[in-house]
Amino acid sequence: MTVDHDQHLAAIVAGDADAFGRWVAGVEPGLRGVLRPFAAVVDTEAVLQETLLRVWQAAPRHTSDGRPHGLFRLASRIARNLAIDEARRSRGVSLDDKVLALQRDLPDAPERGAPDPHLRRALAECHGQLTGRPAEAFAARVAAEGAEPDATLAERLGMRLNTFLQNVTRARKLLVECLARRHVDLTLELR
Amino acid sequence: MSAPDDELPDPEDPAVRDALIEAAAGAWRARTPHGAVRAHPAWHDLDAEGRVDAHDRAVTSRALEAALDPEGLSSTARAVLARIRNASR
Repeated sequence: MTVDHDQHLAAIVAGDADAFGRWVAGVEPGLRGVLRPFAAVVDTEAVLQETLLRVWQAAPRHTSDGRPHGLFRLASRIARNLAIDEARRSRGVSLDDKVLALQRDLPDAPERGAPDPHLRRALAECHGQLTGRPAEAFAARVAAEGAEPDATLAERLGMRLNTFLQNVTRARKLLVECLARRHVDLTLELR
Repeated sequence: MSAPDDELPDPEDPAVRDALIEAAAGAWRARTPHGAVRAHPAWHDLDAEGRVDAHDRAVTSRALEAALDPEGLSSTARAVLARIRNASR
């Protein structure tokens, strides 16, 4: 059972971006789950970012239906509709009936919320052990906060782009393996 | 990928394919002149299976980023918040 992320709604409506950030932290994994059936036909990262921007714009007009997680359900509908529109617009894709049927029943609530404290503690230890070029590449990606392309980050670190990308991949693999040694199975955490 | 075509020339090569997936799994996205979020150039060079791999890799990456962030925010969340703070509603 996750907490009702609509607790942040009043502050979001009032224009509090920090409150919106707390809402996003709780619902982002659930929205990625809504978009996964579309992953072969749309860039889900782009659709998710556009969804979040539209939710911020639409929140002041959102009317609660009295049930928890209303803003998440609005975001799920926006995400699904953007994905369908994008698939049809850019590729002329006729979406599989199974995908559309699956998406007709959107989740009522995010299945997972913010990271749990055990994962946070274990990951902090693993992150502290990350060294060398993988650590540099991973840190650069995190510090960039999605604002700079990888080519820019690679150049800053004196790496070729594909070396940079290999180091990011290596860093994530090392972190996941380290978590597994601490009995944290990230694949289970992400279900 | 558009910019690094000289470095990532052949999407059939497993190493190149993996680099394309990693690039598409990142949070950086360009904008259209009207401000809409664009698909990553590397995403266009991937087949359907590679695109799903990029999605799944992004799920893992964002979970790690959020778990390391004091406010529980991923790079996706921070990218969106930066845009919100730089624009009026």
